[in-house]
Formats: sequence, C-alpha cells, structure tokens
Amino acid sequence: MQLQRALTPTRKADFLAELTQTVSGLLLVGFLWTHMIFVAAIILGVEAFNKLAHFMEQFKLLDLAVIFIILTVAAHAGAVLRRIPSRWQEQKIVWKHAKTIKHRDTWSWLFQAVTGSAMLLLIIIHVVVVVYAGIDAKLSADRVHSWMLWFYAVLLLLAEYHASVGLYRTFVKWGFVKRHSLKKVLTVVTVCTVGLGLVSLGVFYSLGGSL
Amino acid sequence: MSQRQLTFHIFRYNPETPNQKPATQTFVLQEETGMTLFIALNKIREEQDSTLKFDFVCRAGICGSCGMLINGKPTLACRTLTKDLPTDITLMPLPVFKLLGDLSVDTGTWFRDMSLRTEAWVHTEKTFDPDAQEERMSNETALHIYEAERCIECGCCIGGCATANIKPNFIGAAGVNRVARFMLDPRDERDEQEYFDVVGSEDGIFGCIGLMACDDNCPVGIPLQGQLAYVRRKMALAGWKR
Amino acid sequence: MSQYDRFTSDVLIVGAGLAGERAAIEAATQGLNVIILSLVPPRRSHSSAAQGGMQAALGNSAMGKGDSPDIHFADTVKGSDWGCDQDVARLFAEMAPVAMRQMAYWGVPWSRVVPGKRIYDGVDIHEDPEKEGLIAARNFGGTAKWRTCYTADGTGHTVLYTMDSVVIKLGITVHDRTEVLSLIHDGERCSGVVARCLRTGNLRVYTAKSTVIATGGYGRLYGASTNAIINEGSGMFVALETGVVPLGNMEAVQFHPTGIVPTWILITEGARGDGGYLLDKDHHRFMPDYEPKKKELASRDVVSRRIMQHIRKGYGVESPYGAHVWLDIRHLGEKHINTNLREIANICRNFAGVDPVHDLIPVRPTQHYSMGGIRTNIDGMAYGLTGLFSLGEAACWDMHGFNRLGGNSLAETVVAGMLIGDKIAKYTKEASLNVSSALIEEHVRFQEDRIQSLIECRNGKENVYQLRREMETILSENVGIFRSEEPLQKAVAQLHELHQRSCQVGLRSGGKGADPELASALRITGMIKLAYCIAAGALARKESRGSHFREDYPKRDDENWLKRTLAYWPVGADRPELDYEPVKITELPPGDRGYGEASTGAASANR
Ligand SMILES: Cc1cc2nc3c(=O)[nH]c(=O)nc-3n(C[C@H](O)[C@H](O)[C@H](O)COP(=O)(O)OP(=O)(O)OC[C@H]3O[C@@H](n4cnc5c(N)ncnc54)[C@H](O)[C@@H]3O)c2cc1C
Ligand code: HEM
Ligand code: HEM
Ligand code: SF4
Ligand code: F3S
Ligand code: FES
Repeated sequence: MQLQRALTPTRKADFLAELTQTVSGLLLVGFLWTHMIFVAAIILGVEAFNKLAHFMEQFKLLDLAVIFIILTVAAHAGAVLRRIPSRWQEQKIVWKHAKTIKHRDTWSWLFQAVTGSAMLLLIIIHVVVVVYAGIDAKLSADRVHSWMLWFYAVLLLLAEYHASVGLYRTFVKWGFVKRHSLKKVLTVVTVCTVGLGLVSLGVFYSLGGSL
Repeated sequence: MSQRQLTFHIFRYNPETPNQKPATQTFVLQEETGMTLFIALNKIREEQDSTLKFDFVCRAGICGSCGMLINGKPTLACRTLTKDLPTDITLMPLPVFKLLGDLSVDTGTWFRDMSLRTEAWVHTEKTFDPDAQEERMSNETALHIYEAERCIECGCCIGGCATANIKPNFIGAAGVNRVARFMLDPRDERDEQEYFDVVGSEDGIFGCIGLMACDDNCPVGIPLQGQLAYVRRKMALAGWKR
Repeated sequence: MSQYDRFTSDVLIVGAGLAGERAAIEAATQGLNVIILSLVPPRRSHSSAAQGGMQAALGNSAMGKGDSPDIHFADTVKGSDWGCDQDVARLFAEMAPVAMRQMAYWGVPWSRVVPGKRIYDGVDIHEDPEKEGLIAARNFGGTAKWRTCYTADGTGHTVLYTMDSVVIKLGITVHDRTEVLSLIHDGERCSGVVARCLRTGNLRVYTAKSTVIATGGYGRLYGASTNAIINEGSGMFVALETGVVPLGNMEAVQFHPTGIVPTWILITEGARGDGGYLLDKDHHRFMPDYEPKKKELASRDVVSRRIMQHIRKGYGVESPYGAHVWLDIRHLGEKHINTNLREIANICRNFAGVDPVHDLIPVRPTQHYSMGGIRTNIDGMAYGLTGLFSLGEAACWDMHGFNRLGGNSLAETVVAGMLIGDKIAKYTKEASLNVSSALIEEHVRFQEDRIQSLIECRNGKENVYQLRREMETILSENVGIFRSEEPLQKAVAQLHELHQRSCQVGLRSGGKGADPELASALRITGMIKLAYCIAAGALARKESRGSHFREDYPKRDDENWLKRTLAYWPVGADRPELDYEPVKITELPPGDRGYGEASTGAASANR
C-alpha cells in the first residue's frame, strides 16, 4: 500500500532561478567593490583618476562594464522579483509578521528588498548619467558638487547595506560560515567601504567648481 | 522573592462564533514561585475564563504541542517561566497553522501533510527478516540522524518564518530538516534525484530565503542553519546534474 | 434522529501511542481497513516522553554479554513480585529482540556499540569489536544484565516518530483531536465507539468489527504525576463503564521519588547517585535518620516512602503546590553539575526556574506508571466483551504484576502491538459487523443527553475543576506510597461522595463547540470511578506486594494474596465490585526478589 507521489515533479527552473539570483548578486557585489576602489582613485589625485578613466575608455572597458551591468542587474532583478511579495495582501502579512516577531534577520531581509527596489531606479539614473555625460575628474567633481551629492550618498548607503546583507544571506544560506562571526566581519567591511566612498565623495566635492 | 502581578493580553477568537471579531482579552494573575506559562494558563482557565483554549500535552518541552507567540517570540509555553518575562505578557497563536480557537492551532495536520509530501519514511527494497541480526550502523551515523530526528514538530520554525507565512506550500525548516534526516540515513535507498523531486523546488529548499528565524527560535536547538545548507548544497548538485 | 457523522472500518484503534500504532500497522499490513483515533496528533502521545529506553535481550553490549530471554523473563517476574502472568512475560521476553530489530529496520537510530575500552562507575568495560555497530544497551535498575536499548536521550521520541512514519507510509487513517466517550455494545459484543470531535465538539460514531483500546495510563488522577496531562485513563473508564469489562490490579501504582515541584517532571536518580542530599524545611538532611546505611541511595520505593513519612511529620516545605522537600546538589560544584548532570540542570532551569548550582531543588514523590488496566487474556482480548481488545499501558496484559521494570513498558507496547495486532487481524477477518442502528442511536442519545444536562446545569452546579482537585488530593494523601487501613477507608468514603457529586456538575462556560470545560466535565465521573477502583482495591489487599505498600501489612502474603484484583463497575452501581483470579505461574515459583529488602518493592527501576 505505498502512497503515490504527493508532490508534482519539480522543475529545474526553480533551481536555476535561485542560482541566477545568487551568482548575479555576488557578481554585483564584486563589481560594486571594484568600482568603489576605482572611484577612490580620486583620493590619490586628479591625475590618477583621469588616467584610470582614460585607460578604461581606451580599452572599451567602460562599454563592457555597462553591458555587464545591464545584464547582471537585469538577471538579478528578474530572479529576485519572484521573491518580493507582489500582492498587497502578502506585503501586509510580511510587514505585520516582522513587527510581531521582532526578529533582526527578518527585518534585514525586508530592508534588502526595499533598498534593492530603490536601487533599481537609482542605478539606471546613475549609469545613464555617467555614460552620456562622460567620466573625467572635472565632470565628476562638478556633478558631485551639486544636489547630486545627496544622490550619491544615498546610493552609496543603499548599495553597501544591500551588498552586506546580501553577502551575509548568501553565506548563511549555503552554510560555509558561523552566522554571528560572519555578521561582525561584514559589518567591519561595510563600515570601511562606506568610509572609503564618503572620502571619495568628499574629495570630489572639494574639487568641485575648482577645476 | 517579591511576587509580581502579571497582566496577560491573550488573543481570543472562537471559530464557532465567526461574526465575533478576533480580540485581545486581558487577565490579571498573581505570580507564584516557579510559575510556568503552563501553570499560569491553567489557572486562568480554571479560575477566570473556562472557555479559554490552548494546548499542552507533556508540559515538559518534549511533545511540541504548546508553541505560541510569547511577546512575539515563537516558543514553547510550557518551558517559559513567568519570571523571565516582563509583567505584561502578550500571547498569540502561531501563525501559518489553522487556528482552532484562541491559542490553539492545528499543527498536527500541517506536519502530517509535510511528512506525506516529503515521503518521510525509510525507503528500502529490503524486507525484514525476524531471524537475522540487525544491519550494522556506526554510532556516529546514528547520532547524526538523531540530531535531525530531535525535531518535536512544535512549529516554531514555521510560525516564525515570513516565507512560510505567505507561501502555503513551503515545507519550512522543519520539512527540510526532516528530509536531511533521511538523506543522512544509509537505510534509505533514495538517490539524489529522488530527493530533488521532493525538495528541489520553491516549495522546498529553494523557497528558503535565509531569514534564520527558524534557527534562532527552534526550542530544541536543532542546528537548522546547517541542515538547510546541507540540503541546499546537495540539491544544488543534484539540480546541476539534471 | 441525532446528528452525527458515522465512520466504519474493520479495525478501530483508540490511541495513537506506540501500542496503538504498532497494532494498527500489523492489522493494516494484513489488508484490513484501519482507523486510529487520538486526543492529540499521534507524535504528541505520551510515548514520546520516555527517554530511558526499552528492554530486549540482544546481548550485544559487553555488560549484557550472555543475556537471553530466560534472564529477561526472570527479571520481569521478580520485578513483578510474582504478580504477573508468566506465560505473558515469557512470550514478551522471547519476542522483544525481534521487535527491536524491526524498529531498526523501520528507521530508529538506535545507539550502537562502539568498540574499545571505557570506564563506567569504576569498572573497565571492553566492548567487543565483533559487535561493532549492533544495537547497544545501557544499564537500568532491577536487571541482571545491561539490556536497555536506547537512542541517546530520546528513545520514546525516535521510536514513536519511526512508528508513525510507517503509519503514514501505509496511509492509515488517523483522526486526531478526537475523544472517545463510550463503547457501543450490547453487553456481549463491542461494535465501536461514540466519540467527540475536539475541533468542533460534534459527536461521531465509529463502528468496527474490532475495537482496540490503547489509551495509555491514568497518571493524572494523582495530579502530581510525571505523565502527560492527557493521561487521564479515559480508555480504561469507558471500558469499565460497560459494566462487564473488569480492570485488573488497579491498586498497583508506581511512584518515582523525585518529581520536580510544581510541574512534576521527572528528575532522574543521577542527582542522588552522584551524591545529592535530601533536606527538609529546616535544611536538615533527614535520610540518614531513617536509613543510616544507604541514606539517599536506598532503593526508590524506600526513598519515596521516607520522604512522605517525613513530610507527614510536618517537616515538609509548604508551597502553593503542596508540601515538598529539597534536593541539594550545590556541594557537587558548578563544573560537575553542568557536565555530568546537565540534563537535570536544564530541567531545573527551564521548568522550575532554579539554578541547582546555587539553589535547592523542590522535589516530591510523584505518580509515574500504572500497572493496572483493562484486563485482557494473552491474546489481548478484553474480558467481558467480544470484539474488544486492549494493549499498552491501558491494559493489564499482565506482564508487570505489581511492579514494572524500567524499560519494560516501552518494550511492552511494541511487542504487544506486534503480537496482539496479529491476533486482532486474525479475529477481524473472521468477524462480521452487524450492529443495529437502534443500539447506536441509544448510545449517541445517552451522550447527547449528558452534554445537554451539563450545559443546562440540569443536575447541579458543581465545579469540575474543584472536584478534580479534591480527587487528586484524596488519592495523593491517602492512596499514595504509604497505605493503611484508616486513610484508605477515608479515601473510599470520600471518593464515594465525590462520585455522587460528579453527577451534579454544571458548566460555567456555556459548552459551545469544542469547549475545554465540557471536555473535562465529560471525563470527571469516569476518572473518579478509576480513583475509586484504585482505593477500593488497595483497601482490600491486605499485604504488601511490589509498589503496593501497606504499613499495617508490610509483608507479602502469597498464601492469601497471590492473585489479581478484578474491579467491575456494574451499570448504575454507585461503587465498584471486586473479584479475584489466580495469577499464572508456569516456570518460576514465588521466592525472594533478591533486592535485599524483602517484600518492599525495592529497586524498581522506574524510568
Ligand atoms: C516521564 C516518563 C518516562 C518514561 N520512561 C520510560 C522508559 O524510559 N522506558 C519505558 O519502558 N517506559 C517509560 N515510561 C512509560 C512509557 O512511556 C509508557 O508506559 C508508554 O509509552 C505507554 O504507551 P501507550 O502506547 O500505551 O500509551 P500512550 O503513548 O500514552 O498513548 C495513548 C494514546 O491514547 C490516546 N487517547 C487517550 N485517551 C483517548 C480517548 N479517550 N480517545 C481517543 N484517544 C485517546 C492518546 O491521544 C494517545 O495517542 C515513561 C513514562 C513517563 C511518564
Ligand atoms: C537592481 C536592483 C536590485 C534589486 C531589486 C535587488 C533585490 C534583492 C532582493 C530582494 C534580494 C533578496 C533575495 C532573496 O534573498 O531571496 C537580493 C539579494 C541579493 N542582492 Fe540584490 N537587488 C538589487 C541590486 C543589487 C546590487 C546592485 C547588488 C550588489 C551590490 C546586489 C547584491 C545582492 C546579493 C549578494 C544578494 C544575495 C543573493 C542571495 O541571497 O542569493 N543586489 N537582492
Ligand atoms: C557601468 C556602470 C557604472 C559606471 C561607469 C559608473 C561610474 C561611476 C563614476 C564615474 C562615479 C563617480 C561619480 C560621477 O562621476 O558621477 C561613480 C560613483 C558612484 N557609483 Fe557608479 N558606475 C557604474 C555603476 C554603478 C552601480 C551599478 C552602482 C551601484 C550598485 C554604482 C554606485 C556608485 C556610487 C555609490 C557612487 C558614489 C561614489 C562614492 O561614494 O565613492 N555605480 N560611478
Ligand atoms: S525544527 Fe525546531 S522549531 Fe521547527 S518544528 Fe522542529 S523542533 Fe520545532
Ligand atoms: S526562517 Fe524561513 S526563510 Fe529559511 S532560513 Fe528559516 S526557513
Ligand atoms: S506541552 Fe509538550 S512541549 Fe510544551
């Protein structure tokens, strides 16, 4: 009297979506951090920054980066959208749930979804701006020396928070690490990268209008 | 020990009277030495309101009947001492499970269904020979299986999981842990692909988004993070090979 | 016509503990249609609470070398103080190893033999490399060999979960949150039950060719019990209330010396074994006054009795939960407590809020196991009604006599389930179901009427919780560990009155749907009847045997009392009627139990 299979046969699609989400997320974190370091070249001076920018342009690296970003962000957003509660009813349940159980990692996921959604818009604006207006110490400094400062500050915080929580989640889900020590390490890394970003922004700001 | 006066805010709803909206009722009780919520709730029922519904069976943290939200935290009521709580105590039923009335929810049906869907029994082609010696197993393997088998089906990991709250078919950490238990068992002859059919989906391991409320709230301390990751890795491998 | 749902099956099993599920599996694999009823989801049944282990003479461990069913049989008979049926004990001992292996085949992660040397209690133990990976055994009191199979600290849990996985695999129907209220019978034959759904409060009728009661023990009659709160003996009293089915040896009740106050969770002997003291209200260590030689380490029954004796003298610590004594392990030191006694320390912290490193632990002797139950023959058929079977703690099969050995009751559930399940299947295949709808209607009407009169307070306004507390107090104070003429007479008189009052219970809650007060009210009369049978049996039995200890008759009396009590409750009667039958002695004539203290029921391993 064996029971017949109660589950419908599963699709490989579920696994592929999960894989896409994780891989794209990780690639984006890698990109973000590299990008932060590149931008931080301004700290070393206008020269350094311009050299880097020209180098990128010369070897079409910039175009590659743009294509990469479009693809990865699309993949990530596409994979992740299935997770963001779409129906109003679900939204209500999730927020109420987080409030009731007062659980930190549950809140951090909600912030991840919120920061992610916000970033989708900001990233598009940002990429369009830098690609069409061009990259050069003066242009960049002038951009930052305006209301765009706030745009970048917000993008910086959102991106770093999202990256940090995203990494935490990935490692926890795949189980390579102890949760609580991982959290500490990531907090330190995040504080460092945010700090670096803020310094770069500061340098741009002070250069703004003076070049 | 100075005894406090406790104020309980208890969720009330009786499915028998569906037009009466869910409400919170307040009860005041004098605290006593060594008082657990098991004692407190019974006192309330016997002395103040004999219609109050809740579930206890073993009252010793073994059977998993008494999971509820205690000041928001999903945990076992019988194992909660009032002295570890503030004077205001809010009690709510575990979400996800069907509400039977007040604090009582139908975890039994949920778990039986989960067991069915994950086919949580040893699958083997061998037959039992009453005259033969038992098959050998290393004690280490036995302890590994036991580690996962310790789940008491209290539902705290399910009630605390936001994913389970919005996805009715998600088997949750308890379900994934149950599958891990059989994966570890050399007596179960299912191969990776067969397990993939059981948990390699959005309703199984790939539905988990790593909220870790399960790991933080499991009252018997099953290492759920590790169990989820173990199954995720195995299933990723199986999924890759498909 | 009354309103009710009706279900029909070949076999109806009441109780989803180990005993019930094992029997269900046997019947279902033989092709029969089976329904299981339970108060709670099967895995929450009390069987899951047993941590210690179950006995079977596998002889794999070094300390169990040379073990055999013969030795297991002898231990069981001695443990029972010759009160058991020896043919049953023999059958059990022979089949226990098969049952354990079958559980291994189904998936129980038994702890296994690890070869090598280790030191236990100062003795070197060499585990045989040949036995590596076979089912291991641990030490339990009252056994000549190490024979108790276990899975770490969760034997009952793992065995029950495995058993239930087989039930699920076989697709056996389980109706949980269903409470049986009465048996449908015509005085000769049992055809099913009337039950109440605990989700909706609706009545249901289940009819079947054979009905099986596996509802576990009645510990909660005593209030202070290590048992789960659903162990209220309802299976026993529905059988008793037929008037024709007797309960066997109800006076045989086992106590454990150290239940923690106020939740009565068991504190194992480890605490005293490692050097813990018992203190009274003046923090005086009193055990040496009574037992100068063995002190706290005297056998369990003796310690239990001494504690109660001391409390009776007025040295107990008063508390809202009754008088108790202290268990003191502080002097053992933090390190020892947190490593060697970790399990005990956790219970103290989680359930009593005391830290045994700094605080005293409140303890008192606590009801633990019921040897008595529905009297059946060796095939599990209840006396009095055909088509009715019983097994597990609810039954008096009777392999425990007046004292059950630790580890023998879990083993009993599985072994009996296997053997009696087979008998049930054989019986059922031959039987037919013909029950008149008038009979069903009559039984349903009776329950409906009871419910209605409770709701309307037709017979009075007695408070069910009040009656319950009185019953618990009467039993704990007068029919506890120490028994003697006067208190027992008092208990019988008080229970007699309480039984009358229980017919005048009225609800305060309105009794709508699955009202919890109504459920309690429907049970109270039956529970008091069981209490009455216990007290009356104890009063009549003028000897001490096993756990039944009479201060006024401290010796075992084989001449007059080598017999089993059968308690009947004729329909409409206001008291039980006692009858007796001889115990079956096939191999081992009555002798000394060899526990040192003759006839005191010593060294019973009550885990
Ligand atoms: C703390 C503790 C530790 C123990 N440790 C050990 C040990 O180490 N070794 C050992 O051998 N023994 C031990 N025992 C004893 C052993 O656990 C029990 O004797 C055994 O589990 C009884 O099993 P059972 O199947 O007969 O009943 P249970 O497991 O109690 O099951 C009873 C079933 O009947 C159902 N039921 C009851 N009434 C009704 C009703 N009216 N209608 C419908 N369903 C009903 C319940 O829902 C339940 O499913 C221990 C006992 C206790 C209290
Ligand atoms: C473009 C808009 C973005 C949206 C809408 C978005 C949204 C999300 C959401 C909702 C998750 C959680 C998914 C889950 O746990 O199931 C997530 C995960 C993640 N995101 Fe994003 N994100 C965006 C951009 C980014 C960027 C720019 C980065 C890199 C800095 C990033 C890195 C990650 C990582 C590493 C994860 C974890 C992946 C996993 O758990 O498998 N995301 N994202
Ligand atoms: C190919 C795509 C990208 C290019 C070419 C690019 C280029 C730049 C440049 C040149 C700057 C300096 C400021 C300016 O010139 O306006 C900058 C700043 C910044 N960019 Fe990008 N970027 C890209 C994608 C992204 C993405 C995807 C993110 C977010 C995840 C991001 C986040 C930021 C942030 C936070 C800053 C502020 C700098 C700081 O604080 O150090 N960028 N980017
Ligand atoms: S895994 Fe833990 S929290 Fe979840 S049901 Fe099992 S015991 Fe409860
Ligand atoms: S809380 Fe839920 S989402 Fe996963 S990690 Fe636990 S199951
Ligand atoms: S009542 Fe059994 S776990 Fe709480």
